[in-house]
Amino acid sequence: MSAVPIRDRALDDAVTVARDREDVAVGNEIVRHRLSSRLIHWSVALSFFVSVLTGMPIWTPLFRWMADLFGGLSVCRFIHPWAGIVFTVISTVQFFHWLGDMKLEPNEKDWLGPRAWKYLKYQGDDSEVGKYNGGQKLFFFAVSLGALGLLVSGVVMWYPLSFSQLVRELSILLHDVTFILFSAAIIWHIYLGTAAEPGTFGSMVRGTVTKAWARLHHPRWYREVTGQK
Amino acid sequence: MSVQSLEIRRSSASVWGSPSGMRSVPTVAKYIDTSTCIGCKACEVACQEWNDLPPLSTQQVGTYQTMPTLDAGFWNLIRFDEREVEGGLMWLMRKDQCMHCAEPGCLEACPAPGAIVQYANGIVDVNQDNCIGCGYCETGCPFDVPKFHAKTGKMAKCTLCVDRSSVGLEPACVKACPTGCLHFGTKEDMVALGSLRVDQLKKGGFTTAALYDPQGVGGTSVVTVLAHADHPEWYGLPRDPHVPLGVRFWKNILRPVGLLAIAGAFVAAVGHYFNFGAKQVQGSADSETNLPQV
Repeated sequence: MSAVPIRDRALDDAVTVARDREDVAVGNEIVRHRLSSRLIHWSVALSFFVSVLTGMPIWTPLFRWMADLFGGLSVCRFIHPWAGIVFTVISTVQFFHWLGDMKLEPNEKDWLGPRAWKYLKYQGDDSEVGKYNGGQKLFFFAVSLGALGLLVSGVVMWYPLSFSQLVRELSILLHDVTFILFSAAIIWHIYLGTAAEPGTFGSMVRGTVTKAWARLHHPRWYREVTGQK
Repeated sequence: MSVQSLEIRRSSASVWGSPSGMRSVPTVAKYIDTSTCIGCKACEVACQEWNDLPPLSTQQVGTYQTMPTLDAGFWNLIRFDEREVEGGLMWLMRKDQCMHCAEPGCLEACPAPGAIVQYANGIVDVNQDNCIGCGYCETGCPFDVPKFHAKTGKMAKCTLCVDRSSVGLEPACVKACPTGCLHFGTKEDMVALGSLRVDQLKKGGFTTAALYDPQGVGGTSVVTVLAHADHPEWYGLPRDPHVPLGVRFWKNILRPVGLLAIAGAFVAAVGHYFNFGAKQVQGSADSETNLPQV
């Protein structure tokens, strides 16, 4: 008999639990994102990146090379609006899936200003941070609004002749501005979710975080889930 | 359909611009005198014939006009209008086609490299191989000229018969015109011809006659004599055409600023990492070192 690697039973249990439950502690871990949340998130991410990679070569010839990933600019022009439709549909699902967790608390409006800077300098008082911090909630609403802006302006750009000159020009500008802000936000979303805060990325893959991670980044959530201080 | 013997002065969605200047060619232009046009539409037929464009169904618009607007399969349209001027009835006809702007809005708006080109002689042409059918050119054009072909999904418009003019022939429409209201030559000559005709018209009582060569788009390679140039809209022409402000802002300001903003977000993230490092978990869950800082 060949050696079968002995796997940590507790970890496997966590993965099993993470299929359909979240906010529960299993062993040394806490389930943060159940399978449906993760599938929705990665579907949004995939359709977003297909949209970006097919849209950026149309935006500027500096990114013309991206078009070759799909077989040319004409192919991009065909794929882009459909990828955008898929993106906005799943974004809508995502919006309602997470809306309950994203209710802004009164003091979280500070995250629009100095609170966000303190957080980035690792100087903020995080002791009352629940499952999502104010920045994450604002990001959630910003990208949801952004998806709406991209959809509305994108439909106009898809069928330009059905709209007036002014609406077409405004849509092109709205599509660009939204895309620019969206991209800048996504760069930081990816950075904070990977390099800046180790242990976070796993919550979107395995679905779990360690208790230590939860206590550091989301102490109130940690207390709620584990009952510990 | 780029023409080998013609240098390309400007190309859509070009990163570095197009090197030209090896050859010395004058800017060409088509001269249209609306005051001697009789509306026979020989130019419409000649255009269809030379460019192998199959006949389209005419549409009744209440005048003698063949159809409401230009079409991807109909690049030359005589517009008809009637105006009461000083108690008399003026029957206004104007040959409508691509104006071949010196600063083409279509080319500026176009995102497909090389799909719209401007030759050194001023002709603005579409390279259908490269066109992706996005429709930005329709938003960029102040004259409502670029149209989409349903079959090909690509833009098509008047080429100023670049295949004829590049070998020294006048465009098909000019060749067919029976009244001499169309001429083709260097822009300089056509403007001079226009000035002569405008003087004649002024002496004949059309005091507001002028040559339509709008400077808002850098001038056009189609110069049009209008007897009532104080009312270009009577002829279906915009009074002061420009590349739309939204298109210019988008390409010249928003796009570079956006590129910088996206690059800036990336650089800021890298900078943050070098400055502050990662927010690491310290020890186990219950260790005092793993408490959020206050």
